[in-house]
Amino acid sequence: MAAAARPALKRALPSLRSSTFLPRQQQPQCHHHVPTSRRSLSTTPSHRNDTQPTTPSDEETHFGFSTVTTSQKRALVASVFTSVADSYDKMNDLMSFGWHRIWKDHFVSTLNPGFSPLSSTSPTSPQHILDIAGGTGDIAFRLLHHAHTVNSNPNVKVTISDINRAMLSVGKSRSAALPASQQAALSFVEANAEDLRKTRPLTPILSQTEQTFFDPATATSGLEDDSVDLYTVAFGIRNFSDIPAALAEAYRVLKPGGVFACLEFSKADKHPLFNSVYKEWSFRAIPLIGQLVAGDRDSYQYLVESIERFPRQEEFRDLIKGAGFRVSGDGGWEDLTGGVAAIHRGMKPRE
Amino acid sequence: MASPAAVNCSGAARRILLLPTTTTQPATRSFPGRLSAVTSRPITTLPSTPRTKSKSTPKTQPPTTPPPQPLQTRRTYHSTTHPPPPSPFTQAETTLLTSALTSHIPTHGFTLPSLTLAARDLSLLDISPSFLGPSPVARLIHFHLYTTRTTLPSLASQHSDLLSGLSVSGKIELLTWLRLKQNEPIIQHWQQALAVMAQPSQVPVAVRELAMLADEIYYLAGDKSVDPSWYTKRAALSGIYAAAELFMTTDKSEGFQETRRFLRRRLQEAEELGGAVRSVGEWVGFTASAGVNVLRSKGVRI
Repeated sequence: MAAAARPALKRALPSLRSSTFLPRQQQPQCHHHVPTSRRSLSTTPSHRNDTQPTTPSDEETHFGFSTVTTSQKRALVASVFTSVADSYDKMNDLMSFGWHRIWKDHFVSTLNPGFSPLSSTSPTSPQHILDIAGGTGDIAFRLLHHAHTVNSNPNVKVTISDINRAMLSVGKSRSAALPASQQAALSFVEANAEDLRKTRPLTPILSQTEQTFFDPATATSGLEDDSVDLYTVAFGIRNFSDIPAALAEAYRVLKPGGVFACLEFSKADKHPLFNSVYKEWSFRAIPLIGQLVAGDRDSYQYLVESIERFPRQEEFRDLIKGAGFRVSGDGGWEDLTGGVAAIHRGMKPRE
Repeated sequence: MASPAAVNCSGAARRILLLPTTTTQPATRSFPGRLSAVTSRPITTLPSTPRTKSKSTPKTQPPTTPPPQPLQTRRTYHSTTHPPPPSPFTQAETTLLTSALTSHIPTHGFTLPSLTLAARDLSLLDISPSFLGPSPVARLIHFHLYTTRTTLPSLASQHSDLLSGLSVSGKIELLTWLRLKQNEPIIQHWQQALAVMAQPSQVPVAVRELAMLADEIYYLAGDKSVDPSWYTKRAALSGIYAAAELFMTTDKSEGFQETRRFLRRRLQEAEELGGAVRSVGEWVGFTASAGVNVLRSKGVRI
């Protein structure tokens, strides 16, 4: 599926390049050769729906090293993740030597969802966790395990939200392996993280021509203000067209005292030698691995470029503070593996 | 520094302002010791004056002002000429940690339940303490270390009548004792806290706090040494303080008098050891110079 979903991205790219993309000589690392022979194992739509929603504020944003409009970015990101949905896990293991599992475990265990001090009146208190861009369930399943098994708190519900139905469908099918009690505590919704007032429960992909990314016009419900205890987003916020809008939405849906937690790739330039090795790996090896394993070089080229484009730890911390969150005094973030990834945490204060 | 009047007229005056050397001005804040630190950086901040006239010269905008860098905040000594470094805890953290420290530590110790119950007191959520970072408990212990250290000066001024008659070493003994007494309300949980702070990831914070405490005590005792003993004194006091703190966790005597005797013995030993080292140094120096003089008297050209 991954291989053949790529033509959609391919078709989208040249037309955009001709008009809005930067000159090629300014982005030498973007340059790559497109192989002509491809496997075609598609089970997902290879046609993007042409009736994509246009946002009223169609401003310029980044797609990797390229400059596109926000609605174009949304469509491009959707096509990237549609094409990588199936091989997502395998690719993550290969790209990070399995280390992403350590990051995710650390992320979840330091958040300690479901923890309640023992007391006679209320042994455990309920929590609602919202996992944004959590399509394949990596973080959500860990959160559930930590809350239900480690902290013995069955009153923890997790909502997995993603803009991409293909990713959510992968998570849905993977959740079948979970214990029944945990499956009961899970729900899947399609939503755009920049506007959580419009959501829709996950609907199965029935026909090949359906678009895989969420159209706000089809929304049936929404997330209310002050309804979430913990908002997590792991390796997702980088792909958002409008990060401040997403942070403002996070602030809106969180209860006072609720915690915003973000695991995201970041900058490792505090360690120049390590950084140069890391940069070599990400710009040379990762697109190659993507080409060989997932049959999709462009999606992984986008991945490394979007990592490079994402703001530094300090800048992102200031964005979080700007949205109204309170951060801790030791910087407000925690570097993982020398800064290759970083965890940012913030709390919505009680005014 | 250009006067505000000169800034109002764009053109020549604005170009002058672009030169960093002509715009260097003393810091407007009132700490006298800041001057040396501040003036070493060129200050490019323009006074906020109306800029309506400058629209005709769009290309001569001054360079964007870099955000003011905080003065060196990783200082590990007590400075009389700098403002105290900003607290490593934000307001939201301070509120939560203070509540935990005052209401729940005596019952629950330095644990996550203390923090969670404190969050409930402030009508926050059970999940709220996780914004403190990867180890909220270590953050809580750091907060205890920080608050006890920063309240030591006011504690010293409360006991100024006791301190005034003492020698420097006597003052150090009393100040260290005052600091140890601050652990009294939480002493039954202090072993647990020491164990957390001995974890490899927390050692840098713990060692830094210990060094700052030793320096604070020497500063409050009025020690004025500017020779290498500046370092050895503080290192010795750090070791003695850590040992006394550990001793105190198992001390069951009335008013922790055993701890105080332990502290006195250790300080006495350090003083004796310091005296012995000094004597040996003097002897070596005297013998060496005498030897050289004997050789010179024999005609050796040295």
